[in-house]
Amino acid sequence: MSLLLLIPLLPLIGFAINGLAYPKLSKSIAGIVGTIPPLVAFVISLQLFLNFDGQTQIIQLADWIKVADLSIPFAFQIDALSIMMLLVITGVGTLIHLYSMGYMAHDAGFGKFFSFLNLFIFFMLILVLGANFTVLFIGWEGVGLCSYLLIGFWNQKNSYGDAARKAFIMNRIGDLGFLVGIFLLIQEFGTTDYQTIFSTIKDGTEVGNIGLIAFCLFIGAMGKSAQIPLFTWLPDAMAGPTPVSALIHAATMVTAGIYMVIRANALFELSPEVLHFVGWIGLATALLGAAIGLFQNDIKKVLAYSTVSQLGYMFMGLGASAYTASFFHVMTHAFFKALLFLGAGSVIHAMSDEQDIRKMGGLKSKMPITYLTFLLGTIAISGIPPFAGFFSKDEILAALYHHDFAMWCLAILGSALTSFYMFRVFILTFWGDFRGTEKQAHHLHESPWSMTIPLIILAVFSVGGGLINLPHFAGGNEFLAHWLAPILPEPHEVGEVSFFSLEMGAPLVAAFLPAIFAIYYFGIQKAVPGNDESVQGIQKVIYRKFYIDEIYDFVFVRPIQVLSTFFAQVIDFLVIDLIVEGVGKTVKTASDEIRKAQTGNVGYYIFMMVLSIALILVLTLRSRIL
Amino acid sequence: MQSIPEIIRTIPLTNYIMLSSALFCIGILGVLTRRNAIIVFMAIELMLNAVNLLLAAFSSYYSDPSGQIFVFFIMAVAAAEVAVGLAIIVMIYRNIQSIDIGVLNKLKN
Amino acid sequence: MTAIIALSLFGISNLFLGFWFPRKTIQLVTLLFLVVSMALTVSDWNHELLWFGNMFRTTNTSINFSLIIQLAAFFVVAFSKAFGQDDEHTHPAEYYAIMLFSVVGAILMVSFDHMIVLFVGLEILSVAMYVLTGSDKRNLRSNEAAIKYFLMGSFTTGFLLFGITLVYGATRSFYISNIGTILTTTAPESMPSFLFIGVLLIIVGLLFKVSAAPFHFWTPDVYEGAPTIFTMFMSTIVKTASFAALFQLVSGIFGSLYTVWVLPVYFISMLTLVVGNISAVYQQSVKRMLAFSSISHAGYLILTVSSKQISTTSSILYYSLSYTLATVVAFAVLILVSEYQSARVEKPENFSSFEGLAKNNPGLALCFSISMLSLAGIPLTAGFWGKFFIFSDTFSRNIIYPVILAILMSAVGIYYYFKGIIAVYLKAGEIEKIEVPTLFKMALWACTLGTIILGIYPSLVKSVF
Repeated sequence: MSLLLLIPLLPLIGFAINGLAYPKLSKSIAGIVGTIPPLVAFVISLQLFLNFDGQTQIIQLADWIKVADLSIPFAFQIDALSIMMLLVITGVGTLIHLYSMGYMAHDAGFGKFFSFLNLFIFFMLILVLGANFTVLFIGWEGVGLCSYLLIGFWNQKNSYGDAARKAFIMNRIGDLGFLVGIFLLIQEFGTTDYQTIFSTIKDGTEVGNIGLIAFCLFIGAMGKSAQIPLFTWLPDAMAGPTPVSALIHAATMVTAGIYMVIRANALFELSPEVLHFVGWIGLATALLGAAIGLFQNDIKKVLAYSTVSQLGYMFMGLGASAYTASFFHVMTHAFFKALLFLGAGSVIHAMSDEQDIRKMGGLKSKMPITYLTFLLGTIAISGIPPFAGFFSKDEILAALYHHDFAMWCLAILGSALTSFYMFRVFILTFWGDFRGTEKQAHHLHESPWSMTIPLIILAVFSVGGGLINLPHFAGGNEFLAHWLAPILPEPHEVGEVSFFSLEMGAPLVAAFLPAIFAIYYFGIQKAVPGNDESVQGIQKVIYRKFYIDEIYDFVFVRPIQVLSTFFAQVIDFLVIDLIVEGVGKTVKTASDEIRKAQTGNVGYYIFMMVLSIALILVLTLRSRIL
Repeated sequence: MQSIPEIIRTIPLTNYIMLSSALFCIGILGVLTRRNAIIVFMAIELMLNAVNLLLAAFSSYYSDPSGQIFVFFIMAVAAAEVAVGLAIIVMIYRNIQSIDIGVLNKLKN
Repeated sequence: MTAIIALSLFGISNLFLGFWFPRKTIQLVTLLFLVVSMALTVSDWNHELLWFGNMFRTTNTSINFSLIIQLAAFFVVAFSKAFGQDDEHTHPAEYYAIMLFSVVGAILMVSFDHMIVLFVGLEILSVAMYVLTGSDKRNLRSNEAAIKYFLMGSFTTGFLLFGITLVYGATRSFYISNIGTILTTTAPESMPSFLFIGVLLIIVGLLFKVSAAPFHFWTPDVYEGAPTIFTMFMSTIVKTASFAALFQLVSGIFGSLYTVWVLPVYFISMLTLVVGNISAVYQQSVKRMLAFSSISHAGYLILTVSSKQISTTSSILYYSLSYTLATVVAFAVLILVSEYQSARVEKPENFSSFEGLAKNNPGLALCFSISMLSLAGIPLTAGFWGKFFIFSDTFSRNIIYPVILAILMSAVGIYYYFKGIIAVYLKAGEIEKIEVPTLFKMALWACTLGTIILGIYPSLVKSVF
């Protein structure tokens, strides 16, 4: 119990030390101070995981808000789901901290960076540990704040600040939905406590507005997990340092939406329409993300769209009530996407901050470890067996197959696109001849051990991560499914699948064929995408990300700007200048008048007092005495 | 031989209240009209004595000693107040050679 | 109860210690004394008992008020430095002794069950304050403040006594519990009419002490003239003790007579809010602004007693505590800025003397800003919850218009509190690095931290009250 408290406390302490001592602390000490807390937290989580007896445990820390009948305690909940999340957050978090020590070594804001990272870990832990939606919301807002701070970490550049702001605003739109959902929960259930709410539902008590609540919560998830229509912030968020992209915008924070839906599965199960909606939004996002990813030339942008697309898969799984499969994909995705981002970071580091894959190529021999681990990550995300991505994605696809055949077909298409663009990036980066400048070629080097060790560890997990929920047909025992069973609804019975059915075959074909095509086209033909002006037609539409940013700009941003100009010029003058300033001036004048009553003369003071007393006596007692 | 409470009760209670109230008001007027700090102070003492008188009257009227005990407390506390008050007045006299309360109006607004 | 005996003895022993020990030792010893007396106060927790011939009652409410008072005294002592010019020519032990004695008076005022105890407590506190106000003997402003405070204070004591006497005349008792029984069992029509005058005069006497308008005139002048450390003492301890006494009277024995006093109190609370907040807007001196701010806070507190049903005690206690913590910090930073800068001979107290504080003294600037935010009632500070509890309590008792007025006035309040923050952070100015003694620094951060903790987590103390 006390050890458990250390899990969120340690990163907070790390944040405090680095935050207060920055910039006096030397870089090596700051790095160690920043890395130790998640590491220790990971060890504690591991111990918690090994000793877990399947019982949900509530740890009441304090009464937090008590207003009338509403009581919201500050409490943590330990159960199968939160322990798994703890392991992912602290585990991947530790690796990325370690990696950052190498990656950020030359940055002036080293200590600041680590303090922000620790603060992020703290809020993320609060998010998953919370025993009610309110505590979850604190974490939810906190990680949003940290994401903002870290996207805009290199705030000398204006566009980076804009990206940070965009992420924050998009998230806020989602948060508004989430907040409304929490208010509705309080209205309907009188509490935000998970256990109370879910047991009320389980008892079969009639509660109104469940559909609306689920929908509002999902809006929150849409913002945080970058789903259509709130996804455009995530690619822009790549402005932040690469470890941040790996930790926040791939492995942990963006999966908070999925965590929340899984947590509230009882609510969603009661509103099939919303689940249906979740599934289709997920599908649309997955396809859109994959399609845009096809023609991007910025290595981090490709990975970002790939993340959007993979998050779409997870929501598709949720839509089909395949919670285990989605969570399984959250975990494997955390491994291989963190790996890919860190690999990309390693490449960018070596290329002196060059991110355009058209200028890379042939890095295979210069950076063997990065090359090998990136390859493993690419295979994993493409869904090629027996790597981790295959099992988790296959499980989602299997659930979809039984849920909705049309969705399954489209999901297979998305999977094929994924395989293609990932191999495209991989081949363009590592094979062929070097296409950069002389200076870059001279500078090329393998990254230091602090960066390669996390890569190797994550690669091991990307390869073997499937073991955690190995299906029966592959000889596994579906550990994760059993582990999560207590908090999830009864799974739909799925018959034994044969290795050679359409259900199994199609995903394999969708994984292998595009990969082979990409190898042929980019590897053997040595095709290189042309410069920005040469792209034409539909390809240009996709390259320009379907003009979504432009459409948003036209539909939302411009009218708001016009409106704000109107407010600034007309309303501002009428209301602010005339009325508000008028009030202000009146107050000031009144103040000037009233203070003259304070003459400084005692006799006058006493006279006023006597007068007041006489007035009070006469006015209140005139009916009684006279 | 009548006991003291009986003698006191021969006069209606209202008269005592009127007398004390009159004294009290004279005290208030003294405070309001005088500018010499010591005289203002004396007027305040007059107000306190009006209270004492009324307390004693009530006390005798009801044959309840607690009123008279209160009088002693008031007198003791008033004595302490006099000590402090006169000290303050002396202190001011040393600084400005005057005890006119109208002069002291530097703190205002 | 043992606390007041102990505090009296401590005060006397302080006087003797003054013969042998320097000021710093006595300061530490006084802090120790206050900790001991707080522990003794706590030991009465949950024992509702009568003491001293049934004249003194300890209840959990009175214990809470006593603790807030002693806590405030603790911080005042911690923030004290050499009195007057230097330690050589003054007798610091006397100041600490007087402070301890006045704390005894304040405790009597919150736990009285007999009018004598109320009167004696009030006088112990007041007479001590007259002395402390005038303690800067060579300073004419201090003199003026002392004589104003003294004359007006003893003048209102006359009214209070007259009121007590009239109530005694009507009920034949000084015991609070007896008076309460008589007032509730007798129909108001059969009471002599001077009873009502008595009740009103007692309330007026206490309203003067909490500086409610139109009895507030002394407050700004006295606060400005008194040495800042004693202004801090007055604005926290005197105010809390007097309000506690007022609250116990009107919520207790005078509850059945609410038709008599409710209307005047209702209007006085609104008048106090308006006068306090509006007057503060124009002030250039931080000290005087804080004086008007304390008047406006009295307005918020009086709001809670302006109806038939009185607010829950816990809201009032919470408000007192949050106000005490924030005020103490504000005055402490004022002391530092105006008196600790060796380069300056005069003692500047204007907003302009705070300009640029954040540059070389970021910690002080932060503490000051947090205390201003708390006084203004901005969320995540204790002041926000204090106002929130009071407003929601009052609102739920159907007192609508004063609450609306109070909310408007707290908006005005934001204007002058933020003036301080703006001066500290946004204005350019030259303030050297102020050397803050360790004890001072610790107390400052303790208060600031308290304000924040109470702001984030109000149930921490609200559940105790």
